[in-house]
Amino acid sequence: MAYQGPGPGPGDGSGLTRTPRAGKERPARLPQIKRNYDLYLLLVPGLVFLLLFKYAPIYGLVIAFQDFNIFAGIGGSEWVGLAQFERLFQSPDFARVLTNTIVISLYKVVILFPIPIAIALLLNEVRLMWFKRSIQTIIYLPHFLSWVVIAGLFVNVLSPSGGIVNQVIVALGGEPIHFLMDNSVFRWVVIATDGWKEAGWNAIIFIAAIAGLDPELYEAARLDGASRLQQMLLITLPGIASTIILMLILRVGNVLEAGTQQILLLYNPTVYETGDVIGTFIYRMGLSSMEYSFSTAVGLFESLVGFALVIGGNAAAKRATGKSIW
Amino acid sequence: MRHIRAGDRVLDIVVYAWLALCALACLLPFLNVLSKSLSANWAIVSGQVGLWPVGFTFENLYFVMTDSTFLRALGVSAFVTVVGTLGAILFTAVAAYPLSKKHLPGIKPILFAYVFTMLFNGGLIPNYLLIKSLGLMNNLGALILPGLINVFNMLLMKNYYENLPESLEESAKLEGASNLRIVLRIIIPLSAPVFATISLFYAVAFWSDWFHPLLYITDPSLKPLQLYLRDIVLEASDESRLTQSIDNLLNVSPEGIRNATIIVSTLPILLVYPMLQKYFIKGILIGSVKG
Repeated sequence: MAYQGPGPGPGDGSGLTRTPRAGKERPARLPQIKRNYDLYLLLVPGLVFLLLFKYAPIYGLVIAFQDFNIFAGIGGSEWVGLAQFERLFQSPDFARVLTNTIVISLYKVVILFPIPIAIALLLNEVRLMWFKRSIQTIIYLPHFLSWVVIAGLFVNVLSPSGGIVNQVIVALGGEPIHFLMDNSVFRWVVIATDGWKEAGWNAIIFIAAIAGLDPELYEAARLDGASRLQQMLLITLPGIASTIILMLILRVGNVLEAGTQQILLLYNPTVYETGDVIGTFIYRMGLSSMEYSFSTAVGLFESLVGFALVIGGNAAAKRATGKSIW
Repeated sequence: MRHIRAGDRVLDIVVYAWLALCALACLLPFLNVLSKSLSANWAIVSGQVGLWPVGFTFENLYFVMTDSTFLRALGVSAFVTVVGTLGAILFTAVAAYPLSKKHLPGIKPILFAYVFTMLFNGGLIPNYLLIKSLGLMNNLGALILPGLINVFNMLLMKNYYENLPESLEESAKLEGASNLRIVLRIIIPLSAPVFATISLFYAVAFWSDWFHPLLYITDPSLKPLQLYLRDIVLEASDESRLTQSIDNLLNVSPEGIRNATIIVSTLPILLVYPMLQKYFIKGILIGSVKG
């Protein structure tokens, strides 16, 4: 180190006198800002966007503590403290919606989270490049279709009158199932269609992680006589474990978002009992019943829980794997 | 000499069979809907259409593609997608480049301000009230402006700039080039791959958006394709209009038209997707390499 001897350190009270700093120290702030003023100017459009379309709505959350009147605005509406939240926690509708959300989300995690990992592991074993590429092309495709298209596809395929799935069921001697009207199967439709859309695409991140593994590990294992199945389970899988944990945390942080857009397109009043989730409840309460304050309170609850889960999960991951999202 | 073990051969069979099955599961719903869109009314009604068209006809597709409501919705979607994607690339790149200069004072807090919005947001109702108070109801700006910067895409781009070799910019600086010159002469030409990837992400997002139009667009002449599709496929409301206008067409049916509309609205993505697939994957890889 070039710098030695007594000098102004943090908090020693001598901040006024500037001693020349050693060459490696960063230059003083002001000249650096001046020299790069044009780079700072570039930040402006983004900051305007951020304030207007991201932070203004966050400020708008205050109406959760009001009895918001759209004509009076935020400034003119009456403050009601936590009344909206009291109403929320006493509402039987909210209890139902919260249960549905958590149940559907957990089903989605338990059933759908492992599938992309399995796909990545299987694809890694494929030697025929044309086969590998074709499979990838096909299974990524549904990710790029809108939920409207996918809902359209499945409403068609699952239709009780002439849908191909029910044709098969009838041909096998069963009774046609009203997939989208039946509370006992609706959740499975939600889970299956979500898997259909995203399972292939979600494999990409694991495929990338596998591609980053050290080839020498496999070489050594082969010399030791490990079969390919052993290599898959004892080298590849542990090798991507930290990626798996990170993705799982991100997923769990989203547990209160059970697929609002998807369910909004697929559900109907008959299946509210099992299919109505927080997102769809907010949509109906806010935009059909105009209960702005109440539905904002529901949304704030959802955001806060999601925020806490991601922060907590990230801390847990840091402790468990030494890696974290940020 | 290495010989193939019995266990490895079994593994191969399992691997290929399962992957083929996955791909098949992705394709079957498509084939079914495509077949119906190409089938005659009588065949659809009597439930004869499976994975192959019966009573082959182009009339459903022809009806959809010449329907004026459909064409107008297509035009709205094309406009939102093109203008939105161009604007979004501009805004995102302009925001991402200075944020890649982490050593500059004040950059880290701003970066944090962006990342925070990924973890916590205002949610549906405050956003709706914002658009309303900005006077953007029934204005295509409501579909474009809030989508100009997707923070995730912005971070991908920022990571890309961070990973560019520093020597490029430094040698230009030594020769006295201004920041502006560096951006125009070095950074923009080097941005082609990341622009390609992220334009595709934005284009797909703008094209597929149906939820924001549902919230903000009630004027029928401003409805984009996805909303039109939702009305025609999922709501029975359009049934009467369809039955009226198809009276004089023998082979066309509401069911066939629904299927044809799904196919036609998916076509743009189906056409460009295979060509651009490598960029999608590259994009994810760009983002996963952290500086």
